Amino acid sequence: MYKRLRAARRVSQLLFLAAFVLLFALATFPPKTRIPVDLFLRADPLIAMSAMVSLRKLIFPLVWYALPVVVLSLFLGRAFCGWICPMGTTIDLCERLFRIRGRRPSQAPPWRRVKFYVLIALVVTMLLPAAHRSAKEWALTDTVGVSAVYLMDPIALLTRTFTLVGLPVSQWGLGMTRDVVTEWSYARFVEDHPLLDRALAPIQTGLSMVTRDSAVYFRLGLLSFVVFAGIVAAGRYARRFWCRNLCPLGALLGVLGKVSPVKLAVSEKCTRCMRCVNECKVGAISEDPHEYSGPECIACYSCIAVCPENAVSLTARREHAGREDEVRLDRRRLLEAAGFGLATAALLKVDWGAARTQAGELALKVSSQRLLRPPGALGEDAFVTACVRCGECMKVCPTNALQPAFGEGGLESLGTPILVPRIGPCAQSCNQCGQVCPTRALEPFSVEEKAHLYLGTASIDRSTCIAWAAGKQCLVCDEACSYDAISQEVVEGVERPVVDDRICVGCGLCEWVCPVEPLGAIRVYSTGDKRHWTRDERRELREQAEQESTGVSPYPGL
Amino acid sequence: MDLGSLHGKASMSRGRMTRRDFMQWALGAGLAVSGLSELSGKGSAAEAAAQPTVVVASAKKPAELVRAAVDALGGMGKFVKRGQRVLVKPNIGWARKPEHAATTNPEVVAEVVRLCKAAGAREIKVMDHSVDVPDALVLKMSGIKGPAEKAGARVIMASSAGLYERVSLRRAKALKSTDVLRDLGRADVFINVPIAKVHNATVLTLGCKNLMGAVLDRGAWHRSGLDQCIADFVTQFPPDLVILDAVRILLTNGPKGPGRTEDKRLVVAGTDPVAVDAYSASLFGRSAEKIGHLRLAHAMGAGEIDLSRIRVKNV
Repeated sequence: MYKRLRAARRVSQLLFLAAFVLLFALATFPPKTRIPVDLFLRADPLIAMSAMVSLRKLIFPLVWYALPVVVLSLFLGRAFCGWICPMGTTIDLCERLFRIRGRRPSQAPPWRRVKFYVLIALVVTMLLPAAHRSAKEWALTDTVGVSAVYLMDPIALLTRTFTLVGLPVSQWGLGMTRDVVTEWSYARFVEDHPLLDRALAPIQTGLSMVTRDSAVYFRLGLLSFVVFAGIVAAGRYARRFWCRNLCPLGALLGVLGKVSPVKLAVSEKCTRCMRCVNECKVGAISEDPHEYSGPECIACYSCIAVCPENAVSLTARREHAGREDEVRLDRRRLLEAAGFGLATAALLKVDWGAARTQAGELALKVSSQRLLRPPGALGEDAFVTACVRCGECMKVCPTNALQPAFGEGGLESLGTPILVPRIGPCAQSCNQCGQVCPTRALEPFSVEEKAHLYLGTASIDRSTCIAWAAGKQCLVCDEACSYDAISQEVVEGVERPVVDDRICVGCGLCEWVCPVEPLGAIRVYSTGDKRHWTRDERRELREQAEQESTGVSPYPGL
Repeated sequence: MDLGSLHGKASMSRGRMTRRDFMQWALGAGLAVSGLSELSGKGSAAEAAAQPTVVVASAKKPAELVRAAVDALGGMGKFVKRGQRVLVKPNIGWARKPEHAATTNPEVVAEVVRLCKAAGAREIKVMDHSVDVPDALVLKMSGIKGPAEKAGARVIMASSAGLYERVSLRRAKALKSTDVLRDLGRADVFINVPIAKVHNATVLTLGCKNLMGAVLDRGAWHRSGLDQCIADFVTQFPPDLVILDAVRILLTNGPKGPGRTEDKRLVVAGTDPVAVDAYSASLFGRSAEKIGHLRLAHAMGAGEIDLSRIRVKNV
């Protein structure tokens, strides 16, 4: 009866991978589903733990979503790794597709401890306080830890690869296809044959539904791809190299699974043919097939399927179970791992890019005047800590405006989302980044609230603005401004734009539409970032500014 | 559309000249063009000699206003022949709902499509290049997609470069060449369906200004002089028919709003793009002479600006 488990597991893997891809594709604006598209990230206990420990608070939505995987692991060990994890399935598929064949599994047992050390190092970083600050700064923010979990969490890694590599590449292909079909549709030959014309129309409509208005760009795509390719290629050394040796989520679930009542049992029928040992994806079975390692086993049940004697089965009774080969963690190594975590946290935090300005407003860093965070972002320290760089916000952003930081805000904010208005503006009626953030580094916000979630402030460079510098007729920024923050000032008979910095929320639409090439004469700077204010304070500022201004509601019933 | 009247001899040599033919011809490098501008000038002068008519339909539902106005101009059959391709260019420029009066009334657009369909059009495309992004959102908020598609049109938000082609504007003073909608060249009939709004840079945005949504790079217009570029474009690409939506007009904070609006319940229509705008300016208490791009367009022979020379027909 256990023989079919392997087939069931494969079906489960494919279904979960399909669900992962589908949810990724559904992360769009306007939203197409009410299911949380970041479901896999939310269900990841490592991400939940990291967010809660490093932010020092209980976040109930994270607890509820992560609970099923925790419970699953308590009963079935690392079944998540074998049956659900989309990274594991991707690795399995790639190994099959590219015929990557690992060496004999038992040849690298010491390596498998590394994932526990990684986990320890990550937990240490979470526990550390993020920064030492002056008393003034301390009052402005919560004390938070440092999180480096984004470097190693498999779900975050895979989602990021999908966003930074999969999305732009697939859109590149789709965009070219659309252009080719468009070209055909204008061909004389097609025009003269109404039937062809009619056949092309639905293809064009279909393509326009899945293709973005313009090409999708991301930086760090190549880096992200190299990391992912490395993970897959390591399979040449041993199958599922990542899962068996490096994955901290696997380590965490393995530890939880220590209490699992379900064990593998090997009967006396075993002839020591070693097929199970060779087939085991993670090298969990020792040279003696009666002995295996519980925290390593990913419950793929290939051992059951390949056993010619049907000697392997599952049991809930301890006395029937196979002997367990314990993973013994070296105390010295554990201390080293803790030290490594400490050093990682310290080095991230002393990178000069993380240095603050004297203003004490914690959003402002000396490394960039353009560190524009999406609306709903936590204070800078908490944000950088809570963000797992999964890239869901960048995927869902309809204008491609959100980009992974690379230098802005220093090493500690590598890969975190920043708004790059010249690529795209923050669309007034979209609030999706706040909806898809699995750790609430971007807290959910309503479309109405956006009017006071100041990201920054637009500023006009009068030396290049064509109205100011050349006296030309241009008020595109004023035309476009969704919040009516730009007005006109008549100087020498020509109308020229000026920004009301209390109404400007820094959405960047003005910068995006500015006809001054290449960078625009109106630009958004992080000066106006008001994340160190409470939302109520920000709303009051907005309301007050409005009363003193035009009196037209910025909330046009969107 | 028949550009014959506009381009005199150039078209006669090829019989009936479509707009695309013109584009291909204009792009052709070896053609001597020196004498032609004079000829075409004569063409438009002759056209202007006949007093242009502007129809103003009032006091009905939006769709009925359109029907009444088009009927007064001789019915859609006069403009759209069986089997022709039609390009309808509404204003879908901003992520705003119809009630904000920043985009063309969906019922007006749908009725235009319906009339074209009834006249036997083979293909009706409703296209605009919006300023706001993303396209899907702008289109959704405008409320135009559903009604227009139901009426038989294809609604396309034109932001991808593949939908445009480079064209030289022969008579232009500022906008010498630009990427325009390919469908503008391909369609037999071009119908402009703007909404009347105030505009911070051009005083008002009516029919002529609405044509700015038919090009890929609007920034160039600002850089090289907005009023002149609008005039250049409407001179080169005059719509066959303008149906201006003044059902509800935007009085402040245009062109995007939100601002103060007024329910005028009017549709203004005509074949002279400048005359339609000149009349529509009066809805805002403005004189067309004071609007730079209309003045320039008139000077270039694109249409009549003087209200005393325009026949206004109220229906």
